[in-house]
Amino acid sequence: MARAAQAFSWHQFRVMLRVIVRGEKTVDNTGMGLGDDGAPKRRGLAGKIGSGARKVAMALLFLLLVVMFFMLGVGLHLVGVSPYAAFSLAVVALVTMTVLTGLYQAVNVLYFVRDLSYYLTLPISTTSVMWAKLAHFLAVSVAGDLIFAPVALGCLWAEGSGIAACAVALLAYVLCAVAVDLALVIVCVPLMRFSRLAHDKDRFSRLFGGLIIVLALCVGAGSQFALNGDGLASLAGGAEDLLGAGPAAVVLALLCPPTIVARQVISGAPLEVALGLFAMVVLVVLYAAVLSLIAGRWYFEGVQSVQDAGAKRGRVVKGSELVRATSSRGSFATNLARDWKMMVRVPVFFNQFVLSSLLMPLYFVVIMVVSGAMGVSSAEDAGVGASELLEMVRLLCGSLSFSEVPLVWVAVGVLGFSVLLGFSSYSYTMAVSRDGEDFFFLRALPMDWRGYLMAKLTSPYLLSNVPMLVLMAVALVVCGVPAAVGLYLVVLYLAATGALALLSLGMGGLFPRLDWDNEAQLVKGGGATLMVFAGVVVGVVVVLIPALALLGSAQWGVIEPAVSLALALVVLALECAGLTWWVLFPVARSLSRRER
Amino acid sequence: MIKINHVSKSYDGGATLAVRDLTLEIASGEIFGLLGPNGAGKSTLLNMLAGVLSPTSGTIELDGVNVAEDPLAAKRNLCYVGDSPDHLLRLKGHEFLRFIADVYEVPNDVRSARIAELAREYGMEGELDNQIQSYSHGMRQKMMIMGALLPDPPVWILDEPMTGLDPKASWLLKQSMRRHADAGKTVLFSTHVLDVAEKVVDRVGVIAHGELLFVGTVDEMREHFKSNGSLEEMFLELTSENSPFADAAEGQRPAEGDGAAAARPAGAPEPPEVR
Repeated sequence: MARAAQAFSWHQFRVMLRVIVRGEKTVDNTGMGLGDDGAPKRRGLAGKIGSGARKVAMALLFLLLVVMFFMLGVGLHLVGVSPYAAFSLAVVALVTMTVLTGLYQAVNVLYFVRDLSYYLTLPISTTSVMWAKLAHFLAVSVAGDLIFAPVALGCLWAEGSGIAACAVALLAYVLCAVAVDLALVIVCVPLMRFSRLAHDKDRFSRLFGGLIIVLALCVGAGSQFALNGDGLASLAGGAEDLLGAGPAAVVLALLCPPTIVARQVISGAPLEVALGLFAMVVLVVLYAAVLSLIAGRWYFEGVQSVQDAGAKRGRVVKGSELVRATSSRGSFATNLARDWKMMVRVPVFFNQFVLSSLLMPLYFVVIMVVSGAMGVSSAEDAGVGASELLEMVRLLCGSLSFSEVPLVWVAVGVLGFSVLLGFSSYSYTMAVSRDGEDFFFLRALPMDWRGYLMAKLTSPYLLSNVPMLVLMAVALVVCGVPAAVGLYLVVLYLAATGALALLSLGMGGLFPRLDWDNEAQLVKGGGATLMVFAGVVVGVVVVLIPALALLGSAQWGVIEPAVSLALALVVLALECAGLTWWVLFPVARSLSRRER
Repeated sequence: MIKINHVSKSYDGGATLAVRDLTLEIASGEIFGLLGPNGAGKSTLLNMLAGVLSPTSGTIELDGVNVAEDPLAAKRNLCYVGDSPDHLLRLKGHEFLRFIADVYEVPNDVRSARIAELAREYGMEGELDNQIQSYSHGMRQKMMIMGALLPDPPVWILDEPMTGLDPKASWLLKQSMRRHADAGKTVLFSTHVLDVAEKVVDRVGVIAHGELLFVGTVDEMREHFKSNGSLEEMFLELTSENSPFADAAEGQRPAEGDGAAAARPAGAPEPPEVR
């Protein structure tokens, strides 16, 4: 491979950085990207409106999260948490998220980029290319890391600190973010140079993607503890202790050296603040120097190792085995098999759409166990034993009937649960988009687009509902819910999630995103984040009328409970029927005519 | 038979005209080669024939079936190999071929034998159990061609089919095309490799700026240019900046007439045939 002079060139660095920022289709690694996602722009008014609306939506979403974390900081102050503890919490959250998700992103952005092999053929200093790649990655990562900063700022603001204190805290946080991202790349470079696992993109993505999903579920389940009682204050206190002393403090100091002087910077006297900030800058510069040394030695060797990774050869399929392997199937089965294989064999899709669906019930089990344990604990405090409590619950659930209002409230709860599941409805929204460029290959075939869409509906529907149905069945039996009532609730749940799935699938089919270059670009970009939140809106739309029918009995008492329960189910059934027609005809027709 | 009748394709509300008022008829039993420089509109035209793109105006018929009115029936009559072989990469070779066989409803009793034969011919027997993503570019192209030949529909539409193929596979494909045409069916393919066109095609069409500049046999092309030179030389002359055809193609389409005849300015040599 041709190699040019290795000396750093400022001119080449700027040229490469511009090319990388504008031309390279990489993962939107913040997951909250506000900028370009690499999609080609549509010309004309429609394109401008679409692009503008997308940017506005992204900005609003970003602002929403900023406000949420700021209010969390204010809340921390209200429960007596100091600004340093709030800052510690933000930094610990930053380090945790970076360690568990950042490595995956760093490897994707720094190594698994098609254009890298092309850069290596150009007469450009590899050092310049390397620093352009690193600068781009660090800039985007730090921008994403800023999302936790409002926790500390909110606490400072609530305490009445001035702008200067807030600016100092923000600067300290930014230095921490830069340091932890530098540390991440310092780990990443030798890993990619020497690890065989890391060279296999699929295995690497499966492992780390799986870790991310498990982490997300752990955070969700853990939040059940944290958000109870003084959990929030305990969490901040715990973060402060982590930074204070012990082995965790050493690990944190290695991953994010500025934390060593964070206390002086956030709650020290002016001279301590100045010295602390100076020390932070020095530590960041030191890590940058270490990275420069390590990356200069191993970055391109790692890139070349990845490029060299070869494929394995398979065995010969012939005779009766070939006959069996190629036997004919119907349209639906053909599409289902193709879609399923493509989904489970792409690690990013497997993690996002299969693993997360399968682990979701586990998340609810944890919540149920936590809630149950807390309920038992409270009951025991009140002198009621666990078995007595269970008997009370069974008695209560056993009395549920179609003519009583409590069942209506349970039905409202089931609909609310369906809305909550809207967070995962992007499995359906993304179903067509998952095909990417393959979609246009399919367009040249005599495809049955109805079979195609039904197959797209079936996999995620079964994946998300079968484990959940098992969980529901266990809960219904344990709680002693009458069979007819239990059946009604299950059907209501299936109808609500069915309508949600159909609407999401249809929307995704009408507005598919087929121009992605990297699978992670589709499911981890800012657009994907928006889709997740949009799923909840879709869920609300689906259950709105049935919920009103139920509230007509439970809240306003204008109709009989049995009538409202029947009405809710009928409305959902009608929604399902209408949406099925919409998907099978207008949406399928739209797909059969879709052009690039 | 392929009938293309006054077909145009524009983008951006007419700002970009990729194909302009193109009329052409390709008879059954014929191999037709479509030649043209990069960006001439070859792929756009073939994509319209395959039903991937809709014409802005005009009609396309494949064996009497209108592609716009009955796309499914039209697609069952054709197989299409696009300009990229990177499709369904996560499927194994035999899974890909089974998918194609299912979509085209290839009878169960013939498909495995046909797959085995194609795999043997194209030297892919040992690769069928591997995911397509592990294949080289040439092997992927072979798989796309095997997928196209498996259902054996009456009309073959191939966009740069020889790209990446090794000499044996290239020869095999040319033989298959010849056999297909000799059986009274139709083959339309685009190519940059003029030698291939010269040796394989019954007729050739030259397209530039979205407009058909010439249609005829290679011999007619020679006669037309009064040239004993190679097809390459004639092609370069026809599509060069100085070509009277190219000048016409860049300007507005004449108000009457069709295809190359309409685009041909006064004084330009008359193409022998424009369908």
